[in-house]
Amino acid sequence: MRYAKMAASATTPMAPSSGGSASALSMEEIRALTDLSDLEAAYSRLCAEEKAVEEELEMLLNQQCSIESKMTALHRIGPNLQLIEGDAKQLAGTITFTCNLAENVSSKVRQLDLAKNRLYQAIQRADDILDLKFCMDGVQTALRNEDYEQAAAHIHRYLSLDKSVIELSRQGREGSIIEANLELLQEAEQRLKIIVTKKFDEATRQEDLPQVERFFKIFPLLGLHEEGLSNFSEYLCKQVANKAEENLQLVMKTDMSDRRAAVIFADTLTLLFEGIARIVETHQPIVETYYGPGRLYTLIKHLQVECDRQVEKVVDKFIQQRDYHRQFQHVQNSMMRSSAVERIEPRELDPILTEVTLMNARSELYLRFIKRRIVSDFEVGDSMASEEVKQEHQKCLDKLLNNCLLSRTMQELIGYYITMEEYFMRETVNKAVAMDTCEKGQLTSSMVDDVFYIVKKCIGRALSSSSIDCLCAMINHSITELESDFGEVLCNKLKMGFPATTFQDFQRGVTSAVSLMHSSLQQGKFDTKGIESTDEAKQSFLVTLNNLEVCSENIMTLKKTLESDCAKLLQQGFGGEQAQPKIDSCLSDMAAISHKFRDLLQEGLNELTNSAIKPQVKPWINLFLSVSHNIEEEEFNDYEANDPWVQQFILNLEQQMAEFKVGLSLVIYDSLTSLMTTLIAIEMEKVVLKSTFSRLGGLQFDKELRSLIAYLTTVTTWTIRDKFARLSQMATILNLERVTEILDYWGPNSGPLTWRLTPAEVRQVLALRIDFRSEDIKRLRL
Amino acid sequence: MKTTLLHVVPPVSRDRIISHFPKWYTPEACLQFKDHFHTQVGSACQRRNTGAVGLKISKVVVVGDLYVGKTSLINRFCKDVFDRDYKATIGVDFEIERFEIAGVPYSLQIWDTAGQEKFKCIASAYYRGAEIIITVFDLADIQTLDHTKQWLQDALRENEPGSSFIFLVGTKKDLVSTAACERTELDAIHYANEMQAEYWSVSAKTGENVREFFSRVAALAFEKSMLMELEKSNSRMAQIGAGNLINIEGTSLEASETNHQANVGCC
Ligand SMILES: Nc1nc2c(ncn2[C@@H]2O[C@H](COP(=O)(O)OP(=O)(O)O)[C@@H](O)[C@H]2O)c(=O)[nH]1
Ligand SMILES: [Mg+2]
Repeated sequence: MRYAKMAASATTPMAPSSGGSASALSMEEIRALTDLSDLEAAYSRLCAEEKAVEEELEMLLNQQCSIESKMTALHRIGPNLQLIEGDAKQLAGTITFTCNLAENVSSKVRQLDLAKNRLYQAIQRADDILDLKFCMDGVQTALRNEDYEQAAAHIHRYLSLDKSVIELSRQGREGSIIEANLELLQEAEQRLKIIVTKKFDEATRQEDLPQVERFFKIFPLLGLHEEGLSNFSEYLCKQVANKAEENLQLVMKTDMSDRRAAVIFADTLTLLFEGIARIVETHQPIVETYYGPGRLYTLIKHLQVECDRQVEKVVDKFIQQRDYHRQFQHVQNSMMRSSAVERIEPRELDPILTEVTLMNARSELYLRFIKRRIVSDFEVGDSMASEEVKQEHQKCLDKLLNNCLLSRTMQELIGYYITMEEYFMRETVNKAVAMDTCEKGQLTSSMVDDVFYIVKKCIGRALSSSSIDCLCAMINHSITELESDFGEVLCNKLKMGFPATTFQDFQRGVTSAVSLMHSSLQQGKFDTKGIESTDEAKQSFLVTLNNLEVCSENIMTLKKTLESDCAKLLQQGFGGEQAQPKIDSCLSDMAAISHKFRDLLQEGLNELTNSAIKPQVKPWINLFLSVSHNIEEEEFNDYEANDPWVQQFILNLEQQMAEFKVGLSLVIYDSLTSLMTTLIAIEMEKVVLKSTFSRLGGLQFDKELRSLIAYLTTVTTWTIRDKFARLSQMATILNLERVTEILDYWGPNSGPLTWRLTPAEVRQVLALRIDFRSEDIKRLRL
Repeated sequence: MKTTLLHVVPPVSRDRIISHFPKWYTPEACLQFKDHFHTQVGSACQRRNTGAVGLKISKVVVVGDLYVGKTSLINRFCKDVFDRDYKATIGVDFEIERFEIAGVPYSLQIWDTAGQEKFKCIASAYYRGAEIIITVFDLADIQTLDHTKQWLQDALRENEPGSSFIFLVGTKKDLVSTAACERTELDAIHYANEMQAEYWSVSAKTGENVREFFSRVAALAFEKSMLMELEKSNSRMAQIGAGNLINIEGTSLEASETNHQANVGCC
């Protein structure tokens, strides 16, 4: 074996060996070997190769057995396969046969089905023809007996018959007879239509409701839905008109002293609407039963025409009797401030404004009623309808509601109302401002309450109209009124300033008095009594601050109330799809002016701090400079007995703030003291930095500062500590034993203390101590 | 009827996203020439540093004679529909249109008013606080142009002087020939300059220039309200000192860029 292998590889050195790998050495290479060691190496390599090849061969030989057994198994399967092929062919044959059979059967079934259908059709036709005959006979008899319901039922049956049936019957053997009968039937139909219409007319003329209803029910049987509804509506309209006429007559006779005289037109409209609503309620069931759902719209559309006609009459009378247009003209003329015409007294407008809003509210209620009815009727009728049909119906409804004369007339009235209400509000507000008084001991003056009472009343009235557009319009006007007219009044009061009393501020007082006179002359509507005394001017300023606060709060309260009122209105189904955003938009402006009043208040407080507090407080603080803090034991003790500065300062502050404490609301007073403490802290820092201190002087300052902070803490709810943090830290520095002691508090040693002073400032404060050497301070590493 | 407490705001549609400053219609009558956002506004928007929270919204009031096409103009823009049938507006109509400008959500609140004299009382109650006044006339009916001055005057009376942007819009451009349109535009531009307004010719029927016009309106209003916001927070910061408030670059606004009215020579 070894030899053969060697020979094989020797003859075909490049061919792959049975193991798939050529020997690594070619014969030539071996021949070329001359060195023994090389030869040995080549030999051992070849031996290794041989071994590998042998192993491979062994493995292949081992497989031979299993391959052979598989082959015998295959041979055994052979005959079985032939059997299967035969079976499969047989199966295919059976299936084809079954299929044909089924085909045969089903075609017979189909034929049977067809036959059955034809049979049914034949029966149907026979029935129809019988019906037709029955109708022909029946209609005659019924007509003869004046049994119109029965006659109409026959005609209805005839009308609902398949037209092709009739056509086919004509072509049948009995064609000519049927033809004749059909003619009779059609003739009967025409006759019946005429009779029913005539009888209906008669019944309406005689106002015989049972007969009216009787024939109303017959129309749809004859396919005359539209005619029926329109005839019936005509009858109903006449009823509405008669009743309305009566009511209007009553109005003309109403005594002016009558309890309802002031709202008599609103009442008349109410009666009209209630009447129509009752009609709808009463007759909706018959319409639905005999005409099917989805027909109510048609009925109401007809009724609305009469409603509009009657509304027009009532409104015309209203305009005439109440002199509505002339009053509006008068208001419009009065609105032009410069106009010479005699101004209309706002109080005179009160009743008419109330009546108009009531009229509108009644109309909205009525429109909402018919909207709901029609919508739900359409919903039933359109349950199977396409989206387009539904949209078309929605469009019709919108058009009916928005474009009916009632809507338009009311819009017009409301338009005039808004202008008159605006005038009413403006004039009444001006009056309230002119009559403004402030009782002793009251924080705010009368006009704030009065103005908000008026504004609420006007907006409330607009709200009571149930019209969102009207409400939003009045909210807008109210905002303008509060912002421009009333806001200007308050602003002007602030501009007069808080008169100063001290000698230094004499000049300021004069200028403010002058500006006061000036502005009141310009305004022409101001109480000139304002300058009678400084005290009054002072009070006026403080009252104005309180007024501003209350205004700002009142506006927010009003906004909240309106939000919930509107939510209620919308919940009840008033207002269109955009009602909510409209309201939101107008109400957000309200919040904005509330903030404006707050800003104005803040400005006033700043003004008060700068003009009244600062000029007083500053000199008091400057007195600190005249008290030496470069002191020894003896003076320190002396100060202990006779306080040189801080007690008097506190006393002064207390006196000064007392005036504000009684004159300002708690919240405002608190803001003011906060501003004052800030001011004190700033001014104190200035004087401290201008003083010099001994060790005991530092202690003295620390005592003084503690007293001051203790006092200020009692007068305000704000935290004082923070505002005085820098000063407290200065006191700490001024109290040190040695310069280097600062390091016990600085940097890593600062503990919970946050330094508000910069290193430079620390050095600056240290330098205030006369006993600290500047070299030591310079040497500090901060 | 339904008060949505938790309303999830869907994203604005693609054609309501404005990233470049929309251009004017004619340089002869426009409110601003520049073609980019004010640098401060741009950078504030980039930093999403748009001041106080909440959606920004501006109020638009549309005025003009009856039948000139105010409602159609708004409907074309807001609903992309045009209705040949005429339905007079009673009182006021209202639409809110949302935008995204320079990455910031922004809305226009559009009040459509009635042009009829008898509804004027109610309509004029809505003029106050208008950031934008759009006066509309019919290009095919020169008389309506004459009346725009009165409409504007009425609307301005209810607003602080100089607080509103004014637009003059000629509608129904599709009804007039190009030559006629150009002739009318000459007059209109003259009017616009007197009214300190920006001029646009549009057609609600074909939609020509409608989107461009409202984009321009929105961008100008947006920029102005942003500038005001920035100015307010600047002055607030100046008052209180470098405090804990939102930090917006504190340099004062360049006067030249806030000066809206481009001074245009007129014929
Ligand atoms: N051809 C044309 N007709 C328009 C255009 N805009 C409006 N209209 C028509 O003019 C009429 C009045 O439009 P409308 O918007 O109701 O006017 P409004 O009273 O100012 O609100 C309607 O019949 C509209 O179809 C337009 O751009 N082109
Ligand atoms: Mg309109």
